[in-house]
Amino acid sequence: MERLSGGVRRLRAWMEETRARRWVALAVVGLGVAIGVWVLRPPANYVPLGPQRHVETINPKMGIHTRLTDEVEAWKIKRTLEMVREMGAPWIVEYFPWAYVEQQPGRFSWNHTDLVIDHAERQGLRVIARLGFVPEWARPRNTTPLYLDEERFGDFGRYAAEFVRRYAGRVHHVIIWNEPNLALEWGYAPVDPGKYAEMLRVVTPMIRAANPEVRILAGALAPTLAPPGSPDGMNDLLYLQALYDLGAADYFDILAVHAYGWVADPDEPAHPEAVNFRRTELLRAIMVANGDAHKPVMITEGGWNDHPRWTRAVRPGARIDYTVRAYAIALEEWPWMEAVCLWAFRYPWDTKNYQDYFTFVRTDFEPKPIYEEVQRYSRGELAGEVQP
Amino acid sequence: MRHRIALVSAFIAVLAVAVWLWAGAADAGAWVNRLLGRQDGTWLAMQERGLWRVGMDPSFPPFNLLDEQGAVVGYDVDLARALATSWGLELEIVPIGYDSLLDALKAGRIDSVVSAVPYDPRGTRDYGFSPPYFEAGVRLAVRAGSPITGVAALPPQALVAVEWGSMGDLVGRRLQREGAAIELAPYATPDEAIAALAEDERISALLLDQVSLRQAQGRGVAVEAVGPALESNPYVIVAPLTATVLRERIATTLADLQAQGVLAELETRWFGPIGDYSR
Repeated sequence: MERLSGGVRRLRAWMEETRARRWVALAVVGLGVAIGVWVLRPPANYVPLGPQRHVETINPKMGIHTRLTDEVEAWKIKRTLEMVREMGAPWIVEYFPWAYVEQQPGRFSWNHTDLVIDHAERQGLRVIARLGFVPEWARPRNTTPLYLDEERFGDFGRYAAEFVRRYAGRVHHVIIWNEPNLALEWGYAPVDPGKYAEMLRVVTPMIRAANPEVRILAGALAPTLAPPGSPDGMNDLLYLQALYDLGAADYFDILAVHAYGWVADPDEPAHPEAVNFRRTELLRAIMVANGDAHKPVMITEGGWNDHPRWTRAVRPGARIDYTVRAYAIALEEWPWMEAVCLWAFRYPWDTKNYQDYFTFVRTDFEPKPIYEEVQRYSRGELAGEVQP
Repeated sequence: MRHRIALVSAFIAVLAVAVWLWAGAADAGAWVNRLLGRQDGTWLAMQERGLWRVGMDPSFPPFNLLDEQGAVVGYDVDLARALATSWGLELEIVPIGYDSLLDALKAGRIDSVVSAVPYDPRGTRDYGFSPPYFEAGVRLAVRAGSPITGVAALPPQALVAVEWGSMGDLVGRRLQREGAAIELAPYATPDEAIAALAEDERISALLLDQVSLRQAQGRGVAVEAVGPALESNPYVIVAPLTATVLRERIATTLADLQAQGVLAELETRWFGPIGDYSR
C-alpha cells in the first residue's frame, strides 16, 4: 500500500513538473511571438511614402505654411503634402516645436518630425523648418512655452543642432524663433531686440557647426505699427534696424518676413505707417542699407483672409486675386525673394473663427476655390486677369 | 415567478434611464442635477440680479449692429429680449469683439452669447449650444416662379451664379465634382451674383449664403430658395456647459417662440418680407 501511494506521489510530481514545464515552454513561445510581432511591427501610423514626386509649377517661388504640428494621423500628413504639391507650391514652412521633440533633456523623439520630413521629401517639397516652443524643463514655472531665459539659449541651440544634423541634406532652411517683436511670442516678457540678437549669436554657430550647409533664417517679425513703448510689441522696421545695430547680421543668412496684406491689395505702395504686402520692400531696404543686399528674403507667413465678419478681411474673390498677384510679384519684381509661403494651407480642425478663413483647404481636405485658382495659376492657366 | 418579474422590470427601468441619460436627452443634465440637489449657478445668478447678461458683437447686420444713437440693435437683440422677457428678466447687452465672445463666456463675464455664432461640434466639449435659430448655410436660389425645385431639377449645362471664391462657389465646384452638369458663373460680390440671377435670363440659379439671400429678398428682389441648405451653417445661442437649467430654458423657449411665429416675425422685421411666390 505504501509503495502504491509513493508511486502515486511520484506520478503526480512528474505530472505537475511536466505541466509546469509545459507552461514555461508556452510562456517562452508566447513571449517570443510577442517580441517578434513588436520587432516586425510597422511604424505607428504607417502610411506608404509612395513614389518620388516633383512639383510642377510656373512659379518656383510659390510656397505655403502647412500646419502639421498637431496632425496626428499619417495619412492626413501625406494628403496635405500631396495637395500642396498638386497646387504647384514647391516650398513649405512647417513648425517643429522643441517641446514636442525633447520632452526630457537630451532625449529626442523624432517620430512625428520624421513623418513630416519623409512625406514632404517624397512629394518633392522643400521644407523651411520653424524652430521654437520651449519645453517645460527649459523654462521657469508659470511661463509660457514662448519664453526662454538667456541661460537656456544653449539648450535651444542643442535642439536646433540636433535637428539640422538629423536632417542634413534634406532640410536646408531653419527659422530661429517666431515674431520676437511681439510680447505674446516673446513669452510676455518685454520685447527686446538685444535678447533676440543674443539668441542668434548663441544658436547660429551651434547650427552651423552641426551642419554647415543649412541656411539660417532670422526675423520672422510680425508686421506691426505698435507705438514706441507699447507693451504689445515693437514696430518691425525699428526692430530689424536694432538687430543690425546690435551686430546680428553675422548670425543669419536669410531674412524671414511676415507679409500680411490685411485689406490692402498687394500693389498698394509700401509706407512705414501701413501694414501691407509691400511692407516687405521696406524691410528689404533696411537690409540693403545695412550692407545685407547679398542676402535673400523669404516670406514665411502672409496673405489675406476672407472671413465675412473680420475687420481685416477682404471678399473671397479679392483674396484669390491678391494671392495670385502676390506670388506673381515675387516672381516678376523681387529677384531677392526666394520663396513666398503664405498662411496657411489647412488646419487639423476648424477654429470656428476668422483663422479658418486664412486656409486654402478645409479640414476635410475639400479644396476651397482659392486652392483651385492658385493651382490654375501654377499651371499657367490664368492668363492676365485673375478676376472673373 | 412574481419575484423574477419584479427583478426584470427593475432591470428594464434602470436600463431605460441609463439609455436616456446616455443618449443625452435634452433635459437629462438638468433632471439629474435636480435629483442630486445640484443647482445651475448661472441661472441662479441671473435670478438674483434679475438680469441676463448677453455678449454680442455689434458688427454683423442685421443680427447685431449699432443704431444712430450707438445702441446695439438687431435680430439677435430682439431674440434675446424675447427670451429674457419670457423668463421675467431684464436683458443686459455686453458688446464684445467676435473673437472674444466665447472667452468672455468662459471667464464668466457674461451668461450667454447671442451673436450669430455658428454651431461648432468641437466646441461642445466646452460650451452648451442651443438648437439652431437661423440656418445661414448655402442655398440654391432661383427666380421667383421658376420651375426649378432643386439641384436635381437644374437643366443640363445650367449656368449657376456664385460669388467668386465664396462658400457658394465651393459648393458649386463640389456639385460639379459630384457629376452635376452645371456651369458656374462667378461674380465679384454677392449683390452682383443676385442681380445676375434677377436680370440675366441665361442664369438659371444662384448658390449663396442664406443671410445674403434673405437680405436680397427683403430688398424686394424676386428670388427664392429651393431645396435644403447645401452647406449647413446654423446659428445658435451659447451658454456655459454647466448651466443646465439655463440651457434647458433656452431650448424650450426657442421652441415656443418658433411655434408662436415669433422667429418668423423677427426675420421679417430685420430682413424684410419675402414676396408671395405661391410655390
